[in-house]
Amino acid sequence: MTGHLIGEKELIESVGHLEVAVLRRWIDLGWVLPHQDGESLRFDASDVARVRLIFELHYELRIEEDSMSVVLSLMDQLYEARCCLRALMSAVAAQPEEVRARISDLAKAKG
Amino acid sequence: MVDPYEVLGVGRAATQEEIRKAYRRLAKKYHPDLNPDDKGAEARFKEIAAAYDIVGDEQKRARFDNGEIDASGAERQRPEREFYRQHAETGPGFKYERRWQGSAPEGEEDLFAQIFGERGARVRARGADAAYTMSVAFTEAVTGAKKRVTMPDGKTLDITIPAGLHDGQMLRLRGQGHPGFGGGEPGDALVAVHVEPHPIFRRDGNNIRSVLPVTPGEALAGAKVRVATVSGPVQLAVPKGSNTGRILRLRGKGVPSAHGTGDHLVELQVVLPEHPDDELVRSITEWEGKHPYDPRNRQGAQA
Repeated sequence: MTGHLIGEKELIESVGHLEVAVLRRWIDLGWVLPHQDGESLRFDASDVARVRLIFELHYELRIEEDSMSVVLSLMDQLYEARCCLRALMSAVAAQPEEVRARISDLAKAKG
Repeated sequence: MVDPYEVLGVGRAATQEEIRKAYRRLAKKYHPDLNPDDKGAEARFKEIAAAYDIVGDEQKRARFDNGEIDASGAERQRPEREFYRQHAETGPGFKYERRWQGSAPEGEEDLFAQIFGERGARVRARGADAAYTMSVAFTEAVTGAKKRVTMPDGKTLDITIPAGLHDGQMLRLRGQGHPGFGGGEPGDALVAVHVEPHPIFRRDGNNIRSVLPVTPGEALAGAKVRVATVSGPVQLAVPKGSNTGRILRLRGKGVPSAHGTGDHLVELQVVLPEHPDDELVRSITEWEGKHPYDPRNRQGAQA
């Protein structure tokens, strides 16, 4: 999901108060993964939302760099698990009634 | 709108630092991106942010305290925003999904690979066994039969009842259970078979037992009588002078098994006519008067 890509300057402007050096640091830390377009960086909508989130967590909620790595790691794992769960749920939903009942029974027995 | 002090859980006399701390604590707790499952988190978070917009700013707070602005004014100033979770929920294949795997403990595979397999390789799982019960007639269980049965779940099974099947025996029909997953083989159908009782025959191991009623005349003089067996009627010679309880063996008319076929054991039962007339009663009593015998003496003191 790429969609519309914006440059670094546009991103900084849309977030407001974000310094280029700080953004570069986040990219170095692997918190943000922009697309590389020759020399320049391009950001898609998910990068922009992620930069806003990190900005908010850091500047407003005072989550520092070390803690931020933990928070983002847990958050990414959470979303991946949710994605996986949703994919599983739709696969289960496509099964006949008796298979769904069996899966439900097994899940309850083990959960 | 609710009172911003109440939203943040602080008193009106709280210092700016206390308000800031309260805000951070609540905002971390209710941040929608950190609570993707909590539908109420977003509304709660917005309320907290709106409250902080007013009392987090010393000047705005003073104006609010003086009644110059109300809480709803500040609320409108915050534009609709989009949260990160709206993007993160678009996967699988979302680009921020797998990048932490480098630091994952060794051997810990990523979830998708664990569940769906990697690079086209799919999880293959054998289907589960399906349990059924059915009844068969006594003679079908003895001689064996092929049956097509529709189970309560709508599944039709072609079942071969092996000769000599026991009551309660479990039949396993390979591949007739639930379908497999990802090309895995289907499970088996496990059919518990109940053998219905028979009005005449009784099973005793591989032998069949039945009771054969005969008249006193047949018992005394001997006779050839028709007897039902599991493999059809046969002629049985009742020897002269056979008494009630005598057992006659019909070889090979029992239950087939790996160790040979069992026998049919016929127990004779001498039966008087239902309404004995005077003639019969008189002649027998007269005969007994001349030839007394005690049928109980063999039982001794037990009687």
